[in-house]
Amino acid sequence: MKPLRKMEAQVVVIGGGIVGCASAYYLARRGIKVILLEKDIISGQASGRNGGGVRQQCRDRRERPLAIASVKLWEHLSSELDVDIEYRQGGNIRLATNEERMEALRREGDEELEDGLNVEVWNRDELRRRAPYLGDVFIGAKYCATDGTANPILTTRALAWAAQRYGAHIYTHTPVHTIHVSDGRVVAVGAYDGSDEIWIETPWVINAAGPWAPSLSQTIGVPVPVEPSRSVIAITQRRAPLFREFISSHDLGVYARQARAGQVHVGGTNIPAHTFEQDVPAPVIEHLARGIAQMVPALKNANFLRVWAGTLEMTPDKIPILGPVDQVQGYLLATGFSGHGFCLGPIAGKLLSELIVDGEPSLSLHAFRLARFSSI
Amino acid sequence: MSEQVELAIVGAGPGGLSAALVAAQAGVQVLLIDHYRQVGGQYFRQPLSSLPLTTAQRQGAALRQQVLEAGAKIYTDTVVWGIFQDRVLGLYSPKGITYVQAQVIILATGAYDRPIAFPGWTLPGVMTTGAVQTLLKEQRLVPGQRVLLTGTGPLQLVLAAELVRAGAKVVAVLEANRFLGRVFRYTDALWGQWGRLGEASRSWLTLQLQRVPYRMGWGIVSVEGARQVERATIAPLDAQGHPIAGREEKLECDTVALGYGFIPFNTLARLLGVQHVWRPELGGEVPIRDAHLQTTVPQVYAVGDCAGIGGARLAQLEGQVAGYATAIHLGYRPTTDLAALNKALEHERRFQKMYHALFTPPPGVYALSHDDTVICRCEEITQGEIRRAIASGAHTTNEVKLLTRAGMGNCQGRMCAHLIARWVAHETGRSLEQVGGLPPRPPLFPVPVADLGRKV
Repeated sequence: MKPLRKMEAQVVVIGGGIVGCASAYYLARRGIKVILLEKDIISGQASGRNGGGVRQQCRDRRERPLAIASVKLWEHLSSELDVDIEYRQGGNIRLATNEERMEALRREGDEELEDGLNVEVWNRDELRRRAPYLGDVFIGAKYCATDGTANPILTTRALAWAAQRYGAHIYTHTPVHTIHVSDGRVVAVGAYDGSDEIWIETPWVINAAGPWAPSLSQTIGVPVPVEPSRSVIAITQRRAPLFREFISSHDLGVYARQARAGQVHVGGTNIPAHTFEQDVPAPVIEHLARGIAQMVPALKNANFLRVWAGTLEMTPDKIPILGPVDQVQGYLLATGFSGHGFCLGPIAGKLLSELIVDGEPSLSLHAFRLARFSSI
Repeated sequence: MSEQVELAIVGAGPGGLSAALVAAQAGVQVLLIDHYRQVGGQYFRQPLSSLPLTTAQRQGAALRQQVLEAGAKIYTDTVVWGIFQDRVLGLYSPKGITYVQAQVIILATGAYDRPIAFPGWTLPGVMTTGAVQTLLKEQRLVPGQRVLLTGTGPLQLVLAAELVRAGAKVVAVLEANRFLGRVFRYTDALWGQWGRLGEASRSWLTLQLQRVPYRMGWGIVSVEGARQVERATIAPLDAQGHPIAGREEKLECDTVALGYGFIPFNTLARLLGVQHVWRPELGGEVPIRDAHLQTTVPQVYAVGDCAGIGGARLAQLEGQVAGYATAIHLGYRPTTDLAALNKALEHERRFQKMYHALFTPPPGVYALSHDDTVICRCEEITQGEIRRAIASGAHTTNEVKLLTRAGMGNCQGRMCAHLIARWVAHETGRSLEQVGGLPPRPPLFPVPVADLGRKV
């Protein structure tokens, strides 16, 4: 028999990514006794491997209010967490290489202005003037000045550290193997920390395990339509400051940001792969190189220093699953962020904390309910 | 499209050349790939211009000639920057980016110097013994006028003598291990190593004639200088290798050569998913291999220093074994006398064991740096920043990298990963094996975007 350690918590959070850490942070700040369990390390997966974009524009209309509210939180995160998370509102440029894309950006821009998000549509001349470093394949762009970038690893860790300062307990290298349900309610969570079995009695569980959320959810009869997908980033050697915006082009299939230390991070926007595999095939590396060379020609003579992959969790409609489920009381899902989790992490955590503490979140989660998939 | 070959050998040092010769002579279609402009590796390193050859350089040139005559193809100036599915090697050369698909791969990538960090170690004039050796072998250049050698092992002795013969003044050789009292326990390992003993005694004689001080049980403490090395502080070491306080001495010098051993260059093997074990006496993480030197990944072999530090002679023997085994695997009939080879290998491994027992750097030499000493030179991360990351919860070398960017620069952690690992182990009370290293990521060497993006 393995030794058994018994604990109690008001909320157990599963997953030490940005969504789990933000949930633990906002809950602990409200005085809730919260325990976070992470199978590996904090920010070890997508939350530490993503492109670091914090963006409101080019969102699904249902997701837009969340992104706008999240940026309000981001603006104060560094001072609130007492860590310089390298957040900067350097703007976001979504580029077009053809008229069809340009037209779609214009339509989206009108909708965004309607929803209270300030964006600008740039024609070719305006683009040359505002972002002369960009390649001449682009005929125009949409720009959002309040969008920006941050350091993914530092942000997620800073949320975890702040949660701990407010009394949250965080156990890393402690995979959850069981969620105990009795009479349709969550009652406890079982985990293993490598030497001890851990049993935590709790009325609330937040499943923020990203692409690993479905397998755990399945064990309590709550299937979650989330698929893993490989996402890839390359970084260059340090360069002198070249651009401050987060730039992306769906036509070329790449995005980029320059980190404060000078490295340019280059990611792929459409490299689909339904897989947990995290190796990076050679054609993908070549794709990133071709893309960035076209997007920012000055980077042609830059060197790629390393590439890595992370695993995204994709839903069929590419927006998250966030909130309670009909089948099990006290069980909250926070997964399926479909590559948008970094920006949305803080607001997702805050809304879940409100749901638990106040009984109702300050923004509606109706559009993100799991049941939207069964009603199709 | 990838070029197809039966056997690709990565690294054309003593191990790779020997493997290529045995396999090619048996009829195998061999491609030998090397990073440098000329084959030979560090041991057989050839001069860049038409200088008179040393004995090792003559041997290397002859081996290269034999390999070519046996029909092997050689790509020099070619970096292997990644390994992909089905043993596809990503190459980068003046021709650009190309790919080679091999039925069998032999990794013979050698090792790199293991530097230690101390106040002043980033000043120009502080070098590794490997770098000093490269200057001597390629160009007969001496790195400075007053050279201090500090480290452990007979290589220091040999290098000091070569420097003296090339016209440099060696101000002292500091040997961290007091090995003389223990060397006689290993007479069986030394028996038959006449070449090595001869070289060591010739070097010793050269140094004695020049009155070069050889100080056993001594080591470096720090280095000072305005823009480059001007003087070094040295001290006798206690049993753990820590400098004894109050006994420091100052030495005027313009060059400090660090010879604290080597680290197996195992990143290709790790990228392939080969299982490794932690063997500190062999230099760190080494691949698990069977009797034919095949790793845990089928059709992938590893020989020489990249599989555990053992020197040129051991690498040659291992190369021959792997060349033989891969030839058999590919359906050829090599004529090599495997029994004799294995006997020689056993003899050489006894010497390797003795070497590591006598000349492993004591732990104290890794504790010379201060909180304001830069540990990661590429990203300019200090020891203090690394310790703060550990205090905030980083429990592995990789987590320190994630938090500080230490080890993320141009050298991919080849300089600093082992130093970071020691700090994590020290501060968390865990073993070096537990705190681990940095996961290898392609490209293993910086590759230009323009070349990667060009369709060949």
